[in-house]
Amino acid sequence: MIPWSASIRVNWTTHRPAGPGSMTPRQRRLHLWVPLFLVWLLLLPLVLILFPFVALACIFVRINALRLYATAWSVLTSLRHTFVEVHSPAANVRVHLA
Amino acid sequence: MNDDRKSILEMLAAGKITTDEAERLLTALDPKPAPPATDTPDAYASAPTSAQGRSKPPKYLRVLVEADESTTGLRGGPTTVNVRVPMQLLRAGVRLAGLIPPQAHDQLDEAFSKHGVPVTLSQIKPENLEELIDHLGDLTVDVDGKDENKTRVRVFCE
Repeated sequence: MIPWSASIRVNWTTHRPAGPGSMTPRQRRLHLWVPLFLVWLLLLPLVLILFPFVALACIFVRINALRLYATAWSVLTSLRHTFVEVHSPAANVRVHLA
Repeated sequence: MNDDRKSILEMLAAGKITTDEAERLLTALDPKPAPPATDTPDAYASAPTSAQGRSKPPKYLRVLVEADESTTGLRGGPTTVNVRVPMQLLRAGVRLAGLIPPQAHDQLDEAFSKHGVPVTLSQIKPENLEELIDHLGDLTVDVDGKDENKTRVRVFCE
């Protein structure tokens, strides 16, 4: 199953001036939910247009085009449940493909 | 207490084996399922200490990195990285590597070795994929920095 959505969370701290010579830290937060199924739908026509060109390129470099398509699809489908999280003093970033 | 467990503890008491060896043997005697995947920043602490005793094939490859301020140059605390990659993606990656034309293998191998990764792509074959992933299931890599370097790296499957 291809990933249908991506959840991106970013937390970071900015400093805004609170007076002469002083800065107040302010927590900033960004929570994004990206509906990937819409991205796939938008990309689908482009992929269909590119299909024959990719097949032609595969003939030139002697790669089995069907195997390439199958592998590309398996990469796409296996991306689901990928999770990356980085915590640092500067920012926290979390990306989850669901 | 069964005989096997008793004999391991006796060997430990007699100094014939170390505590680490005793722990490994006891874990092997009493297999426990791998803990569930966690998405919390404390994942480093909850990571399994041993890959033994796993009944199900691993589904994810986990990489945990914890670096202190002196390594990252960022003040305010350590930096942690927690990555969970589905094993399915590894399978797909090996299949993708199998599509690379043979004439490009030498160039890629050279580029890999230049960057300190001595990999021979032609030896990674999709036929050996399942065997490779089976062995990855028993993989646990722990890297602890010494002296000034306080970086900890943990690679394991779950």
